[in-house]
Amino acid sequence: MGRKTEITNLLANLPRLGAGLSYRRPFGSELLQQQSEVDFIEIIGDLYLDAPTERADELLLLAKHFTIVPHFTGLSLGSAEGVDEQYLEDIARLIKWLNPPWWSEHIGFTKAGGVHLGHPAPLPFSHEAVEVMRQNIITARRVIPTPLILENVCSTLVWPGAEMDEPAFITEVLVQSGCGLLLDVTNVHTNATNLGSDPVAFLEKLPLDRVVQIHFSGGHESKGRLVESRAQPVPEGVWQLLEAAVARAPVRCICLERDDNLPPLLEVLWEVERARTIGRQHKRWN
Amino acid sequence: MELALQQKLVARLVTDREFRESFFANPAKVAAHEGLTVAAEGLAQMHHEQLRQFARLLRTRRLAQVSVQMPLTRRALGMRFADLFRNYAVNPQPGKRPFEDGLGFAKYLEEYASAEQLGPEWALSIARYEAAKIEATWLDRRLTVRFLPHAARRLATMLKTGDVPPGSYHRPSVAIWWRATESSRLKHWLW
Repeated sequence: MGRKTEITNLLANLPRLGAGLSYRRPFGSELLQQQSEVDFIEIIGDLYLDAPTERADELLLLAKHFTIVPHFTGLSLGSAEGVDEQYLEDIARLIKWLNPPWWSEHIGFTKAGGVHLGHPAPLPFSHEAVEVMRQNIITARRVIPTPLILENVCSTLVWPGAEMDEPAFITEVLVQSGCGLLLDVTNVHTNATNLGSDPVAFLEKLPLDRVVQIHFSGGHESKGRLVESRAQPVPEGVWQLLEAAVARAPVRCICLERDDNLPPLLEVLWEVERARTIGRQHKRWN
Repeated sequence: MELALQQKLVARLVTDREFRESFFANPAKVAAHEGLTVAAEGLAQMHHEQLRQFARLLRTRRLAQVSVQMPLTRRALGMRFADLFRNYAVNPQPGKRPFEDGLGFAKYLEEYASAEQLGPEWALSIARYEAAKIEATWLDRRLTVRFLPHAARRLATMLKTGDVPPGSYHRPSVAIWWRATESSRLKHWLW
């Protein structure tokens, strides 16, 4: 099967969801009252694995009112020691129950040698790391047939001895694994700002025809560097990059992330509406 | 195989400040002690400041999660919540499950309060209250009970709606969480 056909098949059956929000518990009941303002929600799936009754009930309630897309950080598809089979089974059970259009993980690793990082770390831009990702994704697909998309990570941590640059590495992982891209434009913006490079040039080197979903958020500055804290309103530079990505890529949805320093929900929904409008202007949805 | 060892070394370097600084001072010796000599040779060129920056990013992420788990403690401690969390998180690694950092931080606050002044005095009662709630929610316990030396219910109500006026708020409280069965909803009583 040619690359073009493969990508066409990958995207053909994925629905256009629109603009949504990464769910955080403090939004709670207010979000249900504003459900017409949110086209879908993303959940951090790791928080609902082996969860107590209250969490399961919460998810049931959300599923009654929203299309849910689960996003994970703990499977660690980039771990050379392989994925945790029990964790994978738990994810598979949750995804089977939710029946989402796709699920997502990161191009990175979150565990090694018994240490859990809690946040994805970057991989070396090497053929060995591409092969590790490919093998772990094969393992995941054996138990989870739902389409998987992969997110670019935020980090200026560069492993020595790179065999390619980051866009080439992301491209190779996606091509070898047959996955779509969850493009985090804030990660691109933050890395480019901290490294002093051009975020649009980075964007144009990515396989944009594979972009299924976009993440965006606002970080803060500390000691002269941007930190992707998801604790502030989205800055204008990220909005511009988001628009550049939506103009170039066949995105199915855009998702706002806000983790800390949570403002009133209406302020967050204003940013969701602005993203929805950008998608409409580029005819990604009605 | 080499990548697995390198990831093991990087995971230690970005989660354990003492290990990181020892490694920077004498990489060959520390790596040999950990059985990671091969990995250390491959990572000799890794930028020290980049590793420190990534370690800070990990702590920022963990802080956001713990802030959600312990919102009343955060309000009680104000700006000191983040400072204390950063001190706590320099060495212990985040746990496998999402609630483990909240319990670890509450334990750190207990230890800190026994050595230093943790003001306001009632903040520790609020931290104990929220840690007990995390235990009751996540640890499959049918019954969790905490005796607290401060007016936890009144303080919790005030913290949810705004600032707490100065005062000692000494008054014993009892917090109870229970489930009728393993799968039934958690009930809570605070007096």
